[in-house]
Amino acid sequence: MNKKEMAEILKKALGYGAEFAEVFWEHKETTAIGCEENKIERINSGIDEGVGVRVIYGDSTAYAFTNEVTLERLLEVAEIAGQAAQQKSPPQSPLDFTTPKPQAEFPVLISPADVDVEKKVQVIMDANEAARQTDPRVRQVSVSYGDVRQNVLIANSEGVYVEDLRTRTRLSVNAIAVEGSVVQTGFHSVGQVTGFELLRENDPAEIGRKAAQRAVLMLSAKCAPSGKMPVVMAGSAGGTMVHEACGHGLEADLVQKHLSVYGGKKGQMVASPEISVLDDGTLPKRFGSIRYDDEGCPGQKTVLINKGVLEEYLYDYQTARREKRASTGNGRRESYQMRPIPRMRNTYIKPGKADPEKIIRETGEGLLVTAMGGGQVNTTTGDYVFEVAEGYLIEDGKVKRPVRGATLTGNGPETLRMIGQVGNDLGFTIGICGKEGQGVPVSDAQPTIAIKELIIGGTGNIRTCQKR
Amino acid sequence: MGTGFDSIAEQVLGMAKTKGSLQAEVFLLDSQELTIEVAEKRLENLKLAQERGLGLRIVDNRRLGYAFTADLSPGSLEKVVDSALHNAQMVEQDPFWELPRPCDTYPELVTFDEKTFDAPIENKMELARQMETAARSYDKRVTITEKAVYQDSKYRVLIYNNRGVQVNYRGSYCGGYIVVVGQENGDSQTGFGMQFELFYHNLDPAKIGQEAGRKAIRMLGAQRIPSGVMPVVLDPHSVTSFMGVLQFAFSAEAVLKGKSFLQGLEGQTVASPLLTLVDDGTLDGGLGSSPFDGEGNPTSETMLLQNGKLSGFLHNGYTAKKMGACSTGNGVRNSYKMLPEVGTTNLYIKKGDLDPQEILQDIERGLLITDVMGIHTANPISGDFSIGASGILIENGRLTSPVKGVAVAGNLRNFLQDIDAVGNDLTFFAGKGAPTLRLKSLAVSGA
Repeated sequence: MNKKEMAEILKKALGYGAEFAEVFWEHKETTAIGCEENKIERINSGIDEGVGVRVIYGDSTAYAFTNEVTLERLLEVAEIAGQAAQQKSPPQSPLDFTTPKPQAEFPVLISPADVDVEKKVQVIMDANEAARQTDPRVRQVSVSYGDVRQNVLIANSEGVYVEDLRTRTRLSVNAIAVEGSVVQTGFHSVGQVTGFELLRENDPAEIGRKAAQRAVLMLSAKCAPSGKMPVVMAGSAGGTMVHEACGHGLEADLVQKHLSVYGGKKGQMVASPEISVLDDGTLPKRFGSIRYDDEGCPGQKTVLINKGVLEEYLYDYQTARREKRASTGNGRRESYQMRPIPRMRNTYIKPGKADPEKIIRETGEGLLVTAMGGGQVNTTTGDYVFEVAEGYLIEDGKVKRPVRGATLTGNGPETLRMIGQVGNDLGFTIGICGKEGQGVPVSDAQPTIAIKELIIGGTGNIRTCQKR
Repeated sequence: MGTGFDSIAEQVLGMAKTKGSLQAEVFLLDSQELTIEVAEKRLENLKLAQERGLGLRIVDNRRLGYAFTADLSPGSLEKVVDSALHNAQMVEQDPFWELPRPCDTYPELVTFDEKTFDAPIENKMELARQMETAARSYDKRVTITEKAVYQDSKYRVLIYNNRGVQVNYRGSYCGGYIVVVGQENGDSQTGFGMQFELFYHNLDPAKIGQEAGRKAIRMLGAQRIPSGVMPVVLDPHSVTSFMGVLQFAFSAEAVLKGKSFLQGLEGQTVASPLLTLVDDGTLDGGLGSSPFDGEGNPTSETMLLQNGKLSGFLHNGYTAKKMGACSTGNGVRNSYKMLPEVGTTNLYIKKGDLDPQEILQDIERGLLITDVMGIHTANPISGDFSIGASGILIENGRLTSPVKGVAVAGNLRNFLQDIDAVGNDLTFFAGKGAPTLRLKSLAVSGA
């Protein structure tokens, strides 16, 4: 694909009166390696290539994609997408492509393409062995490694022309520990927008040990309590809560369709004045960092909530266009098969000044969350849930016994107002965030925070969960 | 569509042979998809998709190798063969890897509906609008349409291996779903309706829309309730959410790796005698039906729980060989990018004989769960779950007020045993089907 061909496709797509047209070409090389039962079970490598053509007219979008990448086929696809506009063709001026300047660069020191499969296998086996050697109660370990090299070319009728190579590497370990009839699992993963240096900077054995230690720890955990109680989220716990309770509700597509509790609240206090929330695509190495989003807009740092005041939503091209403003560089898509929509990048609550230990001490009684798992939100009601992967009871201001098996549930805007002290630490975790069937890599974080009360979905004080 | 697939397959098998691979299998997929999204009567998104690709699986000296490509040019085909062989070199030897041999018969099924693709796009757009109209006119408090979506897809699957398997079939589906919001006194609640079918003429847009409207309206004014242990009734859709986690325990792969809580319990009663769970890849008109699975083995009807007794697991060729069983035709593969993994086809709970109303009758105080949140956080290995839920309070045998923001927690083993009523309202949501179920008791955490 070259500029001339891109221009030709765009011209075809605009031929039926569309106001905007875009071509997104992608060539993606992936490697996925899985280890189970102490052995490399599978290695899957592949090449995916395809092109998506998008056309916007009024508030309507037509999207067509193909993975038969020939100019002839692409012109056909452009015509199919363009015809949806069903208007007479307006005069077209020739395209003058320019490339916007990125706000951040993400150097790749060791491209996964230059690393032998043998070396990749070795780090997996290192993680596997370390996890198994952690404790005799560790019965099963799964390690999965993945790397992606995604080449994209984005051109649109407003003259944006962007070429980008995105490299991501990830390693995750799942451990199962068994004692008597009790089975528990532990998980740990690392991922960055870098190459294989990820596993030089992060010792694979340490990742294996962390997963195994968590599984073993949970064997001795008691059931989580049930009902309302104060909660402290440790800085190491990751940011699932802010991602669910706040982030999704600030995506402009949901806001514009009146599907968010945060709609119409720009300029208003929506959180405690201690709270500032940012979504930053420019953080070095972070899993959700981007040079450009999938519409060719540079990744940037967006302040969403500043000292409790809602300042900004997350925009892609189309939602920004509706409000006659600029995109915030949050237009992302899973692949050429999907149209871009507003998505988070690296979302976090800005650290404050409080000493994390002091926060726990002053909470007195409650639940300390030291690792969060997955979550979900209904942005219309603001109700959300997230999983506690590792938690402890706080009694008398001290961290006591571990608890397991709990989901915390709350309401986004209510929770943001109930946050008390904000710690001076910050810890990121990675994830693949799902929306409208599209998964995109993100990371999220928060400092240690105290929340006045959340509902804990345990079974502990209602009936015993020992029988398992 | 799919023209020349057989010659591409033979070409790749030929290349694999010259490079010394013992067993080789080509999986080719060609698919087209149409999606129409309407909101406030206007066409919001139209999407046309066309995708094809090839996955090559080889067994070289008892080592498994895999690679895929979307580019079917001769150069790329050569590269995919080299990658699969190269990948196999680093994989541990395993005597149970063996590609399927051909079968004498495969189930004869209708999996394609020509009429879906005869219908013009305008009709399909209209169908989405009808869903919206039905939802919005259900009640004037239904004020926002998140989206009303029509979708259809057609695809061809071809599997050739060098042990004689040469099979292919055409499949299609169509359907719609809608999400709406009801509003009253500053409260907003969402409701959804969906239907996916093999046959276009079975689609009932008015019913899909009304369902969404009804669900949104009945949740208006929802409140939290105090914590407690209480009887819980799950509507069919909520049951299928739980089945999504539960299915893992029935996978022979999970059993072999010590990840299933049902391991070693075959023949024993592990669930309420009211519960019969089946996976049936040959179900008439089922969205998960196909003559063969993702590695070319014939599909079948597999009894998993028969009146509470564990009667079998789901197998692909590998797990079957390792456990000395027969493949149940559950080597599922949704994409050429994936190896065939143990998965479900049409997984459903057989209906009982109680009306959903009757199931509520003798509950003094309980909860009807109509929506769950965060089910993906449930742990399929330990069986522990703790998830968000909303629904309607049951008082003295009647549905009274809507409930939101509670969490329910327990273990799937107890869940299976605690079922004490099964409804007669078996409903399918794409590849999963369930009737209303009642659980004797469940921990509900609330305000």
